Formats: sequence, structure tokens, C-alpha cells
Amino acid sequence: MRVLVPLAVLANESVSMGLVNLLSTTDVTVLGYHVLPEQTPPDQARAQYADRANAVLEDLVTDFEAAGGSADHRLVFTHDRKQTFDRVADDVRADAYAITGTTGAVETLLVPLTGDVDVDRIVAFVTDLVGDRDIAVTLFGVAGKAKADAARRGLDDAAATLADAGIDASTSFSSTAAPLDALTDAAKVDLLANASMDHDAIVMGERAPSLQSFLFGEEARRVAAESVGPVLVVRREREPAPADVDEDGERDDEEKSANGPR
Amino acid sequence: MTDQPPPTDGATVPDATAPEGTNIEGKAPDVEPTVETPEADITRESELERTIGLIGGLAIGIGTMIGAGIFVFPGIAAGEAGPAAAASFGIGAVIALLVALPASELATAMPKSGGGYYFISRALGTLPGVVVGLSLWFGLVFATAFYLVGFGYYAVDTLSQLGVAVGESLVVPLALLFGAAVTVLNVTGTENAAKLQNGIVALLLSILVAFLTFGGLDALGIIGSSSAPEEFAPFGTMPIFTTAALVFTSYLGFAQIATVAGEMKDPGRNLPLAMVGSVVVVGVLYVATVFVATSALGSVALGEAGETAMVAVGRDLLGAPGALAIVLGGLLATMSSANASVLSTSRAIYAVSKDALLPSRASRINLRWGTPHVALGLAGGPILVLVATGQVQVLAEVASFLHLVQYGLICVSLVVLRRRDPDWYDPSFRVPGYPVLPILGALASFALVVFMQPTSLLVGTTLMIGTVAWWAYYARDVQLKGVI
Repeated sequence: MRVLVPLAVLANESVSMGLVNLLSTTDVTVLGYHVLPEQTPPDQARAQYADRANAVLEDLVTDFEAAGGSADHRLVFTHDRKQTFDRVADDVRADAYAITGTTGAVETLLVPLTGDVDVDRIVAFVTDLVGDRDIAVTLFGVAGKAKADAARRGLDDAAATLADAGIDASTSFSSTAAPLDALTDAAKVDLLANASMDHDAIVMGERAPSLQSFLFGEEARRVAAESVGPVLVVRREREPAPADVDEDGERDDEEKSANGPR
Repeated sequence: MTDQPPPTDGATVPDATAPEGTNIEGKAPDVEPTVETPEADITRESELERTIGLIGGLAIGIGTMIGAGIFVFPGIAAGEAGPAAAASFGIGAVIALLVALPASELATAMPKSGGGYYFISRALGTLPGVVVGLSLWFGLVFATAFYLVGFGYYAVDTLSQLGVAVGESLVVPLALLFGAAVTVLNVTGTENAAKLQNGIVALLLSILVAFLTFGGLDALGIIGSSSAPEEFAPFGTMPIFTTAALVFTSYLGFAQIATVAGEMKDPGRNLPLAMVGSVVVVGVLYVATVFVATSALGSVALGEAGETAMVAVGRDLLGAPGALAIVLGGLLATMSSANASVLSTSRAIYAVSKDALLPSRASRINLRWGTPHVALGLAGGPILVLVATGQVQVLAEVASFLHLVQYGLICVSLVVLRRRDPDWYDPSFRVPGYPVLPILGALASFALVVFMQPTSLLVGTTLMIGTVAWWAYYARDVQLKGVI
């Protein structure tokens, strides 16, 4: 299980010890990045700053390893942060990425299971992340009245799965007066941010891009902006990359690849 | 050479020469072994994301070129060559295409920042590299100054459309003001102006296509009043070629795409498409525009209207709204050309300084804005000096001269590399019609220089001699041939 920790190293971003310790049960790739305006070729920044940035990244990797995890680092100069995150996350096959935030020792995790997220993946990630450590998990759900029962059952099931793995799991459910599904994204983010005040860190699912995420930014980023602590975002299941399909196809069918367009 | 450290990284590229020799300050070229993938360049210490797509590449090419050809030159060109000015633009398009194809092949083999300078220094060696690299800097400076003076004319015209008659005495001050603003904004601005540039190019193309459709129908006599046809080449054939040499400035832009080759996604596909595509798009638009303009007003009236003749054409075809659309288009187009060229200038300076042909101070960037403030200053300062001269034609021709020498040498580089065929030379796009096409491209580029005014030739040649002197003084010992 691998977590990507993107960090704007040259903009004085850093990782709190609380997050370093929280991630000691996972493999970590620290992604040092620097976003350049279009006036500047990335290569020009490399020539001037790569050594400085790599020195910082190597220190961080040492920190992660001292906490007990295994870690490596990448350094990217880019014009486009999102493109870089996606490419490197796919490249290292990261299961989750971190929005660093600030926290002391993490003793409580908030895990919202609202909306269209892959609950099984999130629960599996939390199970591995917590391991046999003494970290309490609160599963958090929000729904309108009509779907309240189904949502509550989903939370209870997830809590049972975690409890089976020996994790101290509880649920917190807010049913809102709002009719049906009229609960807006913004309201959800607010509820989540409120709930996060009693917790040290958040683990949430990545959601498919939507009009709302296009207009207001990704939900995880908005949650991170409202809460102080780190947010771990469990990535959606990816379609297998075309290159993988090709490889499989070639392995299965030698003749085809020999006559193929390549 | 004995006190050089042994090359440790040359082995990653077969058959590549490690950089040898240092400049007068004792610095060697910074050659970083790089693995290129369609999405990013992987060096030993970091990765460089490729973020510019095909649309972005086309916008750089078209955005750089379209300002001059359509909004500044038609009046001047029609005054010199009559309706045959359309043929002058056609000649320019053919020459540009003859160079764009070889440049595409070289760019796919060497998708690095630096464009033409990079190909020539690697194929032909350090001296041609220095001449072209520094000429590219000066050429872009002259071109930008030319765009800015064009902007000044449009700014004055805009004011007069708004009822503020200020006269042409304000052209140069307005151009200076805007030139300074572009430089400062590029140093301090971290907003993503690329998206804005794409939008401006899209808006310009829509204005032009609407204008040309209407004007074309009018010119063919289908709608509107028919105007008496005039003689195609009233001044003979010679002015067609001298005008082609003058208006070639309108095609300086496709090679700028190669200066961002290192940042382009999937360069093997996108570079050739963007370079050739942008030349074809602007070439067609130029020829159509000049045809429509000369048909609407007649070349004599166009020539008298000078730099902003297109405004008169717009008024003739569509009344006051037409004039307003053209004025707006002219402002946007000259702005976008000036801005894109300033950016290319700073990249050109970086490419040369990275290879130890200029002091490395020239390519310093700052962490506050992340911008190359020194290089931008080295672009902006000389630009303002040149703008102050207000000499539209000389500025344009010197820019063309300096670029044409580069273009000719690009074609020569292609032939040299194909013949030498080093292992690292593996372009994913290959020029059709080799060796005829690149040889024609080289001959045409050098031939066009001959048709320029003596003043422009003198200024251009002096600058080139200056670059040779700089090489002899500063970088005689630097070896760049085959250093990949």
C-alpha cells in the first residue's frame, strides 16, 4: 500500500511529525514539486534549485523511515500541478495521496463515507493504515431523510468490518432536515469540517470529477482548506492504463504483437 | 583538456559527445543526461513535466504570427507591390513551410528548449550556434519592437475611434508604455496567461473568419458594390520579392514553437502538427486578407492608409462596427505577438546561457515569482530602445534577416545530420522529399535576405559580426557539436 505525499518543497511546505507517524504503516512516496509560471522553462528551475529541493526531500525520507515506514522521493518541476500529481500517482500506483495539513500525534481519524465513493476501498485502506495501533476511527455519514436508513446501515456495516479487524470504530450520522438529496456539496463540506474539529486527521474517498468539482475545486481540497489536520484521499479505482493492456495483449498473443502497428 | 573531470554521464546517450571546453569564466555547458517520455523528461535529479498540448503549441505559433501579417502589413505591402502583395504573402508562406518541415524533423529528434539554436549548435558546432543563438535573441527583440510599434498605431486608432484624436505623435510613447508593461507583467505575473493567450487567438480567428467570409463574398462581386478590378502587379515583379522579404516578419513564429519543445506533450506528434499547422493557418489567412483588402479599397488607398489600413477596409465593408472589430482585433493581435515574443526571447537567452555562451547570471530565476527576471530584462530593455526609433520597416526587416539566417542554417543542419547520421539522431517525423526540400528551404531563406533594404542588411550584418566577436572573446573553447 503506497501513499503519495505531494509537497511544494520550494514554497516552504513541510510535513508534520503527526502525519509522518500516521503513515509509518504504509510505503510513502514524497513528491516534491515546484509549479512554475509559463515564463519559465522547468529545466531552468531544475538547473538552479534541484540540489536544494533534493536535500530537503532526502531529509524527509529519512524522517519517514525513522518512523518505521519505507519511503522514497521524486522531484518534479512543472507548469501544471494536477497533471503532475496524476502522472506520478499512476506511476507509483499510489492507493492514496495526502494533503499535508498540520497535526500532533494522530489518535482519532474521521472517515466520511458520503456520496458516491468506493466504501470497500476506503475501509480496506483504513484497516491497513491503522494496523494494530491505538487509533480510534469515526465513520461519518450525512444523508437526507429519504435515504437515512440505507446510509446508516452502510455505516454500521463498515464499522463492523473495522471492528472485526480489531479497530475501535464508531459511527456518527447526521440526518438533515433537507428534503431528499437536496443537500449541497457546500453544506456537506461544512458538516465535515465541523466534525473534523474533534479528530486529528481525515481519510476520505476521491470522487469522480463533476461540474461542482470543476467550479469549486475538488471536494477533498475544500475539506482540507476548512479543517486544519491532514487529509488522506483514497484514490478511485483506475481503468487499467492502455500500456498495461498492450503488455497483456502481447504476452497473450505473440503473433499479434509481431504483426501489430508497433 | 587534461584537467577536465572525466565525463560520467555521456554513456546514457549512444554516440553523443560529452561537452568539452569552457568559456572565458571557466564554465562548461550544463548538459544534463535526460530520458524523454511523452509526459515528462527524467533527469538524474528531477523530472520535468511536459504540459503544453497541441492547442497550446498552435496558439503560440498563430498568436505570435497573426499580429503583424494581418493587422500591420497589408497597407504597407499593397502600397509597394499592388494587389500582387497577396503573392508576396504566398511566397512567404511557401518559404516558411520549407523551413517548418525540416525544423519539425529536428525538433522531434531534439525536443529541447532552445529551438533553432539548439539544432544548429549540435549539428554545425559552437560558432554557428553562437551566431544563431544571439541572433535569435536580437531577432526576437527587433520583432517584438516591431509588434509594439504596430500596437502603438492601433492604440492611437482606438483612441480616435473613441473620439479622442491624438495624432501619430503618440504612437511611440504608447508603444513604449505597453512594452514596459509587458516586461514587468512577465516578471511579476504568475497568473496563467497561456489560457488568456489561447482565448485571444480563438477570438481573433473568429473575427477574421467572419470578416474574410463577408469580404470574400464582396470581393467576388456576389454582394455589395463591385469595385473596378485593377492591374495585379502594377509595379512589376521585383516589388513582389522585396515585399515578400519585408512581410516575412509575419511568419516568424512557427520556429518559436520549437523553443518550447522541451515542454510539449508527446513532442513526436505535436511539434510537427503545431509548426506546420500554424504556418498553413496563418498563410491562408494572410493571402485571403490581402486579397480582400486590395479588392475592397484598391492598393493605392491601402498604401496611403499605412499601418492601420485594415481599419479602413473594415469600415468600407461593414461600416463603423467593422472598423471597431478590426481595431479591437489589431490591439489584441499585436499584444499577443509582443507577449509571445518576449517569452520566446527569455527562452532563447536561457538556452544560450545554459550552454555557457552567455554568463549564467542571464538565466537566473527567482523563487518569489518563479520568473527569469534577468532574461526578461535583457529582452525588455533593448526592445524599448528599438521601439523608440519607431522605424516599422527597418525593425521588421532586421527581425526577418536575423531569423532567415537561422532558418537557412536549420535546413543545412538537417542535411548535415542526415548525412552524418549519429546514433542519437532518431526523429519520429521525417521530412518528405529529402534532400530537395531542405536544400530549397536553405536557398530560399538565404535568397530572401538579398531583397531587403540596405539599411536593414547593414544593421543585421553588423549584429552578426558582433556575435562572432563575442564568440572569439567569450566562448571560443566551448564544444557543442554532437553534445546531446
